[in-house]
Amino acid sequence: MNKDILKALTKRIVSSIVTILLLISFLFILVRLSPGDPTQKFLSPDFSPELKQQVMANFKLDQSVTEQYLNFLGNIFRGDFGVSYDYRMPVFSVIWQFLSFTLVFTSISFLIQIFLSYYFALKSIKKSGGLLDKLLSKSSLVVYATPSFVLGVFLIFIFSAKLDLFPSAGLKSLDFDSFSFLGKLWDYIIHLTLPLITLSLAGIAMFYKYLRDNLEEVYRQDFILNLRASGYSESTILKKHVLPNAVRPLISVAGIELGILLGGTLITEVIFGLPGMGRLMMTSIFSRDYPLVVGCAFVAGLLMIITNFIADLVKMKMDKRMIKGLMN
Amino acid sequence: MKIKIRNILLFLWLLILIFQIELIFGLVVLTGKYIILLFTDFNQAFQLIDFSLVDAILSVTLFVCIPIISFFYHKKLVWLKSSINFPAFVLIILFLAFCFAPLITNENPDFQKDLKVTKLLSPFSSVKVIRLKREEKNINSSSANFLVYKNKIIKQPFNESIIFANKVKISSSEILYMQKDLQKKIDLSKIEIVNGKPKIEEKTFILGTDEFGRDIFTRLIYGARISLLVGIGAVFVSLVIGLAIGFIAGFRGGIIDIIFSRITDLFLAFPVIYLIILILAMFGNSLLSVIFVLGFSGWMSLFKIVKSEVISAKNKDYIISAGLLGLTKFGILVKEILPVIIVPVIVNIIFQFSNVILAESALSYLGLGSGRSYPSWGSMIESGQQYITKAWWMIFFPGLILILTIFSVNDLGKRLNKFFNPAA
Repeated sequence: MNKDILKALTKRIVSSIVTILLLISFLFILVRLSPGDPTQKFLSPDFSPELKQQVMANFKLDQSVTEQYLNFLGNIFRGDFGVSYDYRMPVFSVIWQFLSFTLVFTSISFLIQIFLSYYFALKSIKKSGGLLDKLLSKSSLVVYATPSFVLGVFLIFIFSAKLDLFPSAGLKSLDFDSFSFLGKLWDYIIHLTLPLITLSLAGIAMFYKYLRDNLEEVYRQDFILNLRASGYSESTILKKHVLPNAVRPLISVAGIELGILLGGTLITEVIFGLPGMGRLMMTSIFSRDYPLVVGCAFVAGLLMIITNFIADLVKMKMDKRMIKGLMN
Repeated sequence: MKIKIRNILLFLWLLILIFQIELIFGLVVLTGKYIILLFTDFNQAFQLIDFSLVDAILSVTLFVCIPIISFFYHKKLVWLKSSINFPAFVLIILFLAFCFAPLITNENPDFQKDLKVTKLLSPFSSVKVIRLKREEKNINSSSANFLVYKNKIIKQPFNESIIFANKVKISSSEILYMQKDLQKKIDLSKIEIVNGKPKIEEKTFILGTDEFGRDIFTRLIYGARISLLVGIGAVFVSLVIGLAIGFIAGFRGGIIDIIFSRITDLFLAFPVIYLIILILAMFGNSLLSVIFVLGFSGWMSLFKIVKSEVISAKNKDYIISAGLLGLTKFGILVKEILPVIIVPVIVNIIFQFSNVILAESALSYLGLGSGRSYPSWGSMIESGQQYITKAWWMIFFPGLILILTIFSVNDLGKRLNKFFNPAA
């Protein structure tokens, strides 16, 4: 068994690395294909051809495409994405400043999604067909169809513009530094409430729908009937037999959801003006800071590959049968 | 009693006919005039072609044809007889807005005039319209005559002969009108006179106006066009890519299959919106590039469906015998495999469609959509966000329509799925 796990792990790691290599190649192709000659950016057409040659040589543009590709690959593995035009800093350190916010933000939202959807699904399956169940099922469809930016703008309108309960943008108040520790925490909380609702609601609806349907399906199976007939209490059946079966398929959905979440943060950060990687990418697009744009896209893809990898690990841990599935 | 889709369609058709009878009659006459011009002066007629003209002629022709089509084909189009529900109703309205945008509203989506009066009007507010006299010129040539008529019927983004005002006072020789707090005068002789009285109408903006005084209702109708157009185009692109690659990978197998599967994994691993934004940033954004990029980023699930179906079908007897009979690979794909996989593909396409509409509006919201030249729901919300404290209608209506659209398309996909696989 141990050998199997090792084999599956190696296979998974190799395929992740291949995907990362493909990602880099894809970015390279995009950068190469994009219109505009790099030499034109730095030189006026009046300069002599010799100078142009020199610049080309400086940027190693006179080499063949394969050599350029290898250079690109090597630079990325060394963590060198070039220098951002706007920040005058290496791209990676710029992204690093903004990435931490995005990571914390998405993780909180992910936890909220899991716990709330779990709670709601249990509530509604307890009285299947009841008022709460019907209400939640119907509203989850509508919530799922609501684009996050529409939701965000509506929330700003209701809670910031009309009721004036929450701030509409930013992460900190202006006088943030004068607050005590608890004050600072509270400041973060009121600034992040609306963004978190915006980011989480669609995910809650999706997880809820999925979990509820799974629970219902498991409850309908014969072994549950058998357990009931044997006299097990409802709570034991739920905890020991229904939940493990219903939650397992959720993990692969969670892997996909993390990708949606990463896209969702981009829009949420733009709506609420939060200092995350998504907003960094948007601002750098409008200021034509291409190295930064490519770097952000690469980091987003990398995050996605890593989270999928972790989701597979968790799956392996929870269900031994998955190992065989992964090996094929 | 259940209301059928056909009845709703005819009811809405009649509604448009009754409310816009003048405009539709004008457009029919315009179409007739254009056809006459085509026969008399072909070169001139050819030069006069522009988008708005083609749009108007096509939509009015289709509009006239709808009852005829539904009369002759009502036996074949079974879905017309199914009973109506709310999502289907929304989709029908969207379809009508898509086809008959110039007939439903009598405005140009970019029309702006007298900003002081029309800026940020709330829903159902109305303003006074003073019409100036048109200068009648002597027109001899038939094409110039046509042009004048066309400009009268088809609305332009500017119109010099209209003045919007809040209040109007008529005295014996001149008209006093108020534009907010500014009082202006105009000579009575310049104004169009009907039955001995100066012609002053009232114009109501049903859903209000935006920051440039443009009618939001009109922009919503035209925005439906952009959304559906991008949706249809992008879905078509991903359908072509998914079918082609899936068929090749499934039929050939081996190394090609492995390569394409890895590439699919890569695309699935990329958070789609980052991919789309990256490509749009690199290659510039226009309506066409948005369609292509959205189509390009959505073919993965189609590829998977097509590939697995092709693999399971390719060793079946009828495919092998079709190949031996001399059917080309393309022929096998179209005639033998497509009918088998059409059901899961259609369901997938519908969900893809709602994803694309969502993505397009999100891109427009981020300022990377089809550009400022077309009204789009997403960009309407984006511009409304700046006026969020003053003008709720600027974000509320586009947002509502967007939610309804995506909800309805999702619902349609779910219903189709249930219809094709009743067991699931």
